[in-house]
Amino acid sequence: MIQKLVNILLVEDDEVDVMNVKRAFSKNNIKNDLFVAGNGVEALDMLRNSIVPLPRIIILDINMPKMNGIEFLKELREDESLKNISVFVMTTSNEDSDKINAYNLNVAGYILKPLSFEKFISSVATLKDFWSLCEM
Amino acid sequence: MINSNILFVDNSKVGIERAKKAFTTLGIENTLHFAENDVEAWDMLNGNHKISPVPKILLIDINQEGVNGIDLINKIRSHEDLKSILVFVITSIDNEKNRSEALNLNIAGYIHKPIDNDNIDFFSILYNYWNIIEYSSEKK
Repeated sequence: MIQKLVNILLVEDDEVDVMNVKRAFSKNNIKNDLFVAGNGVEALDMLRNSIVPLPRIIILDINMPKMNGIEFLKELREDESLKNISVFVMTTSNEDSDKINAYNLNVAGYILKPLSFEKFISSVATLKDFWSLCEM
Repeated sequence: MINSNILFVDNSKVGIERAKKAFTTLGIENTLHFAENDVEAWDMLNGNHKISPVPKILLIDINQEGVNGIDLINKIRSHEDLKSILVFVITSIDNEKNRSEALNLNIAGYIHKPIDNDNIDFFSILYNYWNIIEYSSEKK
């Protein structure tokens, strides 16, 4: 299927994790534009004030300062112009409450960050294959 | 992958047979339940023929005659015990209205149906994806 490249917004406060996502994208030849917000407040500001082009995909961390991932998701889902964006959680949080809250707010997937970078690359490859099936 | 029931809504026998074959070939052990339309699916989710435990994954072929997929997803999203189900919409034709309505209901993916021989690849990608994601534990 011919895919137009959708924009992706990464909401992540940890600079090392941001770098890892960028590296995993590069290793998997993912060429979509990737924008980064450091927390939920910043992400909402970027989305609502058109600081970034509207993404079709958001990759979301859970534990972040100012506004965490779940709080951000609630705001996103209540915002008419943003609520249909596909959200993929990527986090180290293995808390069942985070999974329940995230799925109740209809994330497309909840992915635990693997401990090794190799495994992370492989998870991102799987994600890329899945995205290639989807129309966003 | 989590040992969850999967509900597949498809009113074509061919579609069902292909899904069964792909699951067998790929060694997917999850129990696959079939519904012919949205009414039957709703009955299996919230009616007299309720599947237990509630499936965490629902696949629906949306552009079939006699299947009101949007209505079903709407009901799922409005139901406290069902709203978290991951919904994968499959379609064989372009239908912008259905696509946009489905995305507004926060489905996990809007997917074009594979042409015959791509079927295994198609389910393989989906299965790999289901394997990298986490699920919440069963509702008590």
